[in-house]
Amino acid sequence: MGDPVPTVKFLGLTFNIANDISILLTCLIVFMFVFLLSRHLALKPKGGQNVLEWLIEFTNGIVKGSIKGNDAGHFGLYAFTLFLFIFVANQLGLFLHVQVGQYTYVKSPTADPIVTLTLSFMTVALAHAAGVQKKGMKGYLKEYTSPFLVFLPINIFEQFTDFLTLGLRLFGNIFAGEMLLSKVATLATGGGSWFSYVYSFPIEFLWQGFSVFIGSVQAFVFVTLTSVYISQKVSPEE
Amino acid sequence: MLSHLILGASSSLYLGDMLFIAISFIVLMALIAKVAWNPVTKMMGERADKIANDIDSAKKSRQEATDLAEQRREALSHSRSEASDIVADAKQSGEKQRTTIVADAQNEATQYKQNARKDIEQERQDALKNVQADVADISVEIASKIIKKQLDPEGQQALINSYIEGLGKHES
Repeated sequence: MGDPVPTVKFLGLTFNIANDISILLTCLIVFMFVFLLSRHLALKPKGGQNVLEWLIEFTNGIVKGSIKGNDAGHFGLYAFTLFLFIFVANQLGLFLHVQVGQYTYVKSPTADPIVTLTLSFMTVALAHAAGVQKKGMKGYLKEYTSPFLVFLPINIFEQFTDFLTLGLRLFGNIFAGEMLLSKVATLATGGGSWFSYVYSFPIEFLWQGFSVFIGSVQAFVFVTLTSVYISQKVSPEE
Repeated sequence: MLSHLILGASSSLYLGDMLFIAISFIVLMALIAKVAWNPVTKMMGERADKIANDIDSAKKSRQEATDLAEQRREALSHSRSEASDIVADAKQSGEKQRTTIVADAQNEATQYKQNARKDIEQERQDALKNVQADVADISVEIASKIIKKQLDPEGQQALINSYIEGLGKHES
């Protein structure tokens, strides 16, 4: 995070150009992926449609694992998009680092807390909105005093911890991965001789593979926790 | 805003980024919904329906097939018993016919035999009657002839001759 970032002020809002480019790129990759797989849909699926349906079944499975009943159907699309977006965003920085001058323009957008916290904020907002829609404002507010009135501060506090942990977990994992990758890269180039490339290559190689794994797991965890938080809000009181 | 607390160390809050992320994510979600999610989930639903329908219709067809086989078996056993009935009937009527034919033939034969016996008896009676009549005639004739030619030897000779002649004539 110590790196300088290219910022632009527009309408009083501050934009981090590097983040925005990475996000756009991620959206583009996700969209192209889904778009190309969803051509030639048929009742008897083949090729890309199979992959797409497998992914949909996968994210639907995550959602249905925690949200019971008919409510699960409403969040399938959100979970699907979220999973693909976070997955691609996590992997993006592993093989693509575009640095122009002192600024890194393309990296994992999820290595920035503002991005992960925004995603987590969206999830929490969706969960609360779904809760209000499902139970009405009265039922929604009543949840905070369950099981007793004493729990009110704990319940309120929990909303913030949910939001923070969800975003910071993702950020921490991806940021650490990227950080270590760049450190290993510095080890290779900073060694002063060709030999440093020899021993840093397997380290970089291993860590990159591990980061791919971490990125996939974190995408899965994020979507799972998203559906858990939503289910907490929409599930009927016991 | 809460994010102030976390990013307090950072030089400034990138509120623009938050908006940018949220909006681009929502746009991405809308595009995916339009391009892939809705058509694919619709297709998956259709497939689920189709499979359910296929299973139902397969069940129905199997039921029909079982019914047909049952009917066929029934018809087969029915026709078999019918055939054996027909054979038994035919055998019985043949037996009956045979006995009547034999009895008729026997009756007829007895009839013929009786008729023949009666005819023979009749004939015998007739012949006997004829012979009796003939004997009487001949006796009367002989007697008359004897009485007629008694007197002279010539006459006697003539009588004998005529008698012999008469005999020969009678014989022939």
